[in-house]
Amino acid sequence: MRVLALLTVILTGILLFFGTQDMPNWADPNSPASIHVSPRYIEKTLEETATPNVVTSVLADYRSYDTLGETTVIFTAGVACMLILRIRRRRRE
Amino acid sequence: MTPQSPVLLVVIPLIFAFLTLPFGWWRKGLCYPITLVALSLSFLASLHTLHTVITTGTIHYWLGNWEPPWGIEYVVDHLNAFVLVIVSFVSLVVAIYSKRSVEQELPEKIVFFYCVFLLQVAGLLGIVVTGDMFNLYVFLEIASLAGYALIAIGEDGAPFASFNYLIFGTIGACFYLLGVGYLYVSTGSLNMADLFQILPDLYQSKVVLVAFAFFMVGVGLKMALFPLHVWLPDAYTYAPSTVSALLAPLMTKVGAYVMIRIMFTVFKPQFCIELIPVTTILGWMAAGAILFGAVMALAQTDLKRMLAYILVSEVGYIALGVGLANRAGLTGAILHILNDSFMMLALFLVVGAIMYRSGKREISQLRYLHRRMPFTMAAFVIAALSVIGIPPTCGFFSKWYLILGAIDASQWAFVAVLLVSSLLNVILFFRVIEHAYLEPDEEHAGGGSELAITIEEAPLSMLVPILIATAGIMVFGVLSGKIISTVIQFAVPKCF
Amino acid sequence: MFDFILSKYNYWIYIILMMIGFYAMIGKKNLVKKIIGINIFQTAIILFFVSTAAKRGGTLPIVEHAHGHGIHHIHAASYVNPLPHVLMLTAIVVMVSTLGVALAIVIAIYRRYNTLEEDEILEQRK
Repeated sequence: MRVLALLTVILTGILLFFGTQDMPNWADPNSPASIHVSPRYIEKTLEETATPNVVTSVLADYRSYDTLGETTVIFTAGVACMLILRIRRRRRE
Repeated sequence: MTPQSPVLLVVIPLIFAFLTLPFGWWRKGLCYPITLVALSLSFLASLHTLHTVITTGTIHYWLGNWEPPWGIEYVVDHLNAFVLVIVSFVSLVVAIYSKRSVEQELPEKIVFFYCVFLLQVAGLLGIVVTGDMFNLYVFLEIASLAGYALIAIGEDGAPFASFNYLIFGTIGACFYLLGVGYLYVSTGSLNMADLFQILPDLYQSKVVLVAFAFFMVGVGLKMALFPLHVWLPDAYTYAPSTVSALLAPLMTKVGAYVMIRIMFTVFKPQFCIELIPVTTILGWMAAGAILFGAVMALAQTDLKRMLAYILVSEVGYIALGVGLANRAGLTGAILHILNDSFMMLALFLVVGAIMYRSGKREISQLRYLHRRMPFTMAAFVIAALSVIGIPPTCGFFSKWYLILGAIDASQWAFVAVLLVSSLLNVILFFRVIEHAYLEPDEEHAGGGSELAITIEEAPLSMLVPILIATAGIMVFGVLSGKIISTVIQFAVPKCF
Repeated sequence: MFDFILSKYNYWIYIILMMIGFYAMIGKKNLVKKIIGINIFQTAIILFFVSTAAKRGGTLPIVEHAHGHGIHHIHAASYVNPLPHVLMLTAIVVMVSTLGVALAIVIAIYRRYNTLEEDEILEQRK
């Protein structure tokens, strides 16, 4: 079992290593991620959302639906914990 | 004006999930009607969405009115809308069924149960409706977390089964997220339609190849495709019967939907077929799943565990249709998403009803069930006939298209696999039906025990959903031509 | 060759971290160690995303002189990419939630079997 786990991990590592060869260099200002979608957030943030902090404007405006999902995840986790742990306490009483 | 139904069908269960807590603390009995109202509204919204898609074509809904590559977009085409209706209808049927079963199995946790139940449905619907890779991940996690919790509250072995599911599910979700990250690094976009435009220039990039590999493994784990199914049998055996009936039809089908979406509408079909032989590998894995699931199901003595292995085999059918990568194969796969949802729904509902009445689910203990629960067992037989693939039940038609697809692709091995699996299913279900219907000779001769058997049919709130699911199996069988001509032929990617 | 390793060093670090976490998830027998593995794995992914946001010569994505100087042109190249940061804020929350649910399940397991070792639990389940 342990050998199998190790093999899986090494295989995944090799796959990731293989993929990394074509990755853009670290901190490359011309990487695709830096030039395709994100410049608009930085350039238009004041004009469109009046918020100097770009992370805030993306989090709470451009992609705010993800943030709704995020809060729902926390809510789910909270209710899930209560759901899992509740009956055990009752049973012990 | 853009119709609001695509977003409403996700947000309604979400809002009502929040509402169940305060109302539930006030009056426990309110949770059940609140759930029913929420899922009925959600189902109506999904019907409206499907209707709009059929009449006016693909819906693009910009959340917050930010245009797509920058904001999040809901894209509903024929494939989406079709799966949405299945998900919301199946969850509504399970919700109707849940009342008595939850009262018996989880009397202390009704409030939290319905809250998580609604969140689970909202998560599944959110996965299906979205057109954004990262948004899909967020809703995948909502659905997964709710799923872990719902499974963990089952009988004795459930927490451990759920923990294993959590480990594999988290690996799947993390791999999916890594795939999203790799695509983001090489393209700079998270929007599916935008990726579809940008990616063809990058098909030679190793980053994109690795991203695709991670997507396939991640989604494969979520949809329990052999050999990544190891978490499934335990989880669905020990889960409460309502939860098995909700998750078994839906979670794997939504996984299959995500796979079709990524293979054919984020990447182009020729990428999966010509550049790297994904579809061939997928086809063989699926063939393995079909045979492995059926053989393992034969070895089980526990009815629910047997159904879980049948589910592994059914997931194989969908993957096989995708792996064939031709028009008939994909039609079969998409039709099988519908058919299998209803077959699994009916089977798991029946097992839940049997457990509710007798507390037993060993196949050898099913004796005299056809007299005690005639309607339930009739439903079981119809669902079984559908799994085997006998017309006019719906299971026949999806198998028919899969076989046509395999013949089109000249994959005779797959034709053989499909036929052999039908035979295995005949043996499988005959064993169960034999125990339930045929009476042992010695007791028959005695005659005394016959008088003691009275009709103990499942309560109405359980029987009606079972009959709805069974009626669905028959109706979709009869109407399958119409379903294909109005929805599925547009849902198959254009280039096939 | 040396250049190749150095210019992509963020990826090597994240790959090593991810392999450690992944091994702990599937190779370790103790359930809490598995959960720690989940966290290491997810931390590695966060590291990967955040490292892709960096731009040489870019500062943190808060627009300078935003108030009171009138609208002036903003160069995207002088600020790091904000989107991975946003995605990872969401991913961190997901990670915490998974951790919470996992620990709740582990508590339920412990109450039932009185142990957190996988092989001992499997022994008891026979």
